[in-house]
Amino acid sequence: MSETIIEIENLYKMYRLGVIGTGSFKQDLQRWWTANVLRKEDPFFQITQGNKQDTSPETIVALQNINLKVKHGETIGIIGKNGSGKSTLLKIISRIVRPTHGTVRGKGKISSLLEVGTGFHQELTGRENIYISGYILGMSKHDIQRKFDEIIAFSGVEQFIDTPVKRYSSGMYVRLAFAVAAHLEPDILIVDEVLAVGDADFQKKCLGKMREVSQAESRTILFVSHSMQAIKNLCDKAVWLHQGQMQAFGPSAAIVNKYLTSTQDAHLLQVWHTQDEAPGNDLVRIRSVELEPQLASPDAPLDIRTPLTVRVQFWNMQEETVLNIGLHLFTASGECVFDLPSPAVTCAKGLVEGECTIPGNFLNDGSYYVSIIIVRDTSISLYYHEECLRFELEDYRENIQWYGKWWGAVRPQFPIQLKQAMLSIPQDSI
Amino acid sequence: MPIATRVWEWEISSKTSVWNHSLQELWSYRHLLVGLVRRNFILNYQQTVLGPIWILFQPILTLITFVVVFHKIADISTGALPPVLFYASGIVLWNFLSDSFIGTASTFKENVQVFSKVYFPRIIMPISVIGTQLLRFGMQFFMLLAIIIYYSITTDLQLQTGLWFLAFPMAILLTAAISLGMGLLFSILTAKYRDMSNLVTLGTRLLMFVTPVIYPLSAVPENTRWVVELNPITPVFELFRLSILGEGTITVVHFFYSLGFIVVLLTGSMLLFNKQGDKLIDVV
Repeated sequence: MSETIIEIENLYKMYRLGVIGTGSFKQDLQRWWTANVLRKEDPFFQITQGNKQDTSPETIVALQNINLKVKHGETIGIIGKNGSGKSTLLKIISRIVRPTHGTVRGKGKISSLLEVGTGFHQELTGRENIYISGYILGMSKHDIQRKFDEIIAFSGVEQFIDTPVKRYSSGMYVRLAFAVAAHLEPDILIVDEVLAVGDADFQKKCLGKMREVSQAESRTILFVSHSMQAIKNLCDKAVWLHQGQMQAFGPSAAIVNKYLTSTQDAHLLQVWHTQDEAPGNDLVRIRSVELEPQLASPDAPLDIRTPLTVRVQFWNMQEETVLNIGLHLFTASGECVFDLPSPAVTCAKGLVEGECTIPGNFLNDGSYYVSIIIVRDTSISLYYHEECLRFELEDYRENIQWYGKWWGAVRPQFPIQLKQAMLSIPQDSI
Repeated sequence: MPIATRVWEWEISSKTSVWNHSLQELWSYRHLLVGLVRRNFILNYQQTVLGPIWILFQPILTLITFVVVFHKIADISTGALPPVLFYASGIVLWNFLSDSFIGTASTFKENVQVFSKVYFPRIIMPISVIGTQLLRFGMQFFMLLAIIIYYSITTDLQLQTGLWFLAFPMAILLTAAISLGMGLLFSILTAKYRDMSNLVTLGTRLLMFVTPVIYPLSAVPENTRWVVELNPITPVFELFRLSILGEGTITVVHFFYSLGFIVVLLTGSMLLFNKQGDKLIDVV
């Protein structure tokens, strides 16, 4: 059982909204007066029933009652939507901002990488920037000198090391900056979204380095990312923050699943109960469209393995017509993935139902929407119900150590093989 | 209690103490300080034609202007000293004071980007500004000495500095302390209330006129002299001139008034800077 290296207790952070201006100066005076002269409770921050309740409408609560223990050597992922308090939490642990209430205690040296290129200056050369940035991130002169060659080699900008970085391409700049950061050796490393910059190749390099670092035994890492795949692969545990509160904490795979299920922006069912309000025309009217994912378990996220069943019901208001439907699937950017027509069927007046199942392991991850067309005599379009269903598929990868965006609109599992065709014959034996 | 419970090494809470850095911690950041001084120095002259020559060029131009305006046109007395030496000594020290003050006063405004991304003792930044200015001052000071030597060779000028000469490092140290003290105080004020930054530049310009830069204290009429004497910077300038040029009016009382003021200002603003530094990131 390893020891606790960071302990977060009852942590709160509030921000006052609005511009700092004369109003705030007055408020500052007022605050100072009540707190220090009258010795009363801070009027902007009061405790009611054991909970921190903010009385002023102009403050927002960025973090609320965070309690967390991080053990030595653990890699912890922090997930949540934008504005859920992830970065604030990292900033507090990095000593950049102060909490409003509560404490963080810890042991060992912390380095935080909240952006790539902290302390870099455009006018300075690559060499000068390596030193300045290294010092700012907490490296000693000795450390930098020892790793200098390694840093340059990792960045791949040897030729330009004595050129001001303002003449670098943005890619070179980012590579050099990350190279410095990657050679830090703290006890606790705090990383925020480094993967958001650079090209796919560079991201791969970053994640590779992260993996290398996280496997070094003595290192404890706190890692914020929007890449669920990266969190699942790199982190032992994950924290899910929602509106400043800790929604869940536990093994990363389970937490990621919970998080994904809750965030999926899906538009899976549309029903109209009377014909008057239903979309359509005098010939046909839609009663319902529905997308039912065939989930393995109720709390599983909608990922690329999930088969999806689309059902549509409509009222046919014509006598004896030959009808068929078409299912159009589009990617979020509006490209049609497929246009699937049903067989034509002779239908009487009344309700007509269609169903189609898109198999699992067919679509790639991403957002999709469905449109449905109703056709008479396989030639005349009666009604086109556009963008009636919308869904998002999460990524799922097994045994793949690459985290970049997978290409393509579809990711089918056709049989594909690789085998050794012939052994190479040593030259001298010929 | 398990034995493994080592004492926590650090703790972050809402309380900010006035002295939250150990000297050991500051010492571990010495390379950063040196690096920053170097960076500031390089940045000033990057892509200029004359480069570091500007450091000497700027006081020389000011000196010429002062001699023409205050000596030739306004005919303000410079006491027993030749105007060139008198103005040169004033300009060099005043430049050091005002550049250091203006530089440190914008610590938070200039460094939000870095401060909001990484932690290191914030005080390193203003100290590095003072360091850079001290370096520039050193070069100007040598130029000043060269002018003095030139004058004492070519003219029959007799400088009565004597042992006072040993006091010039004191004057420089006090000037650095004043500018750091004021700078730290104003860096917090300008971060919170932006209007203060206008006050910094305007105030510095006006402050020069109540400091014996273009006139000696001895030339000020008796009835208004108290205004200049009230200014705690005055004794420092008089001491500086006394030490290198042998002319200056300074009393023990006046000196200790100034020293006391500087000690209080510097300690006070350092403590305030430490206490407020961490909170300010939320408002800058």
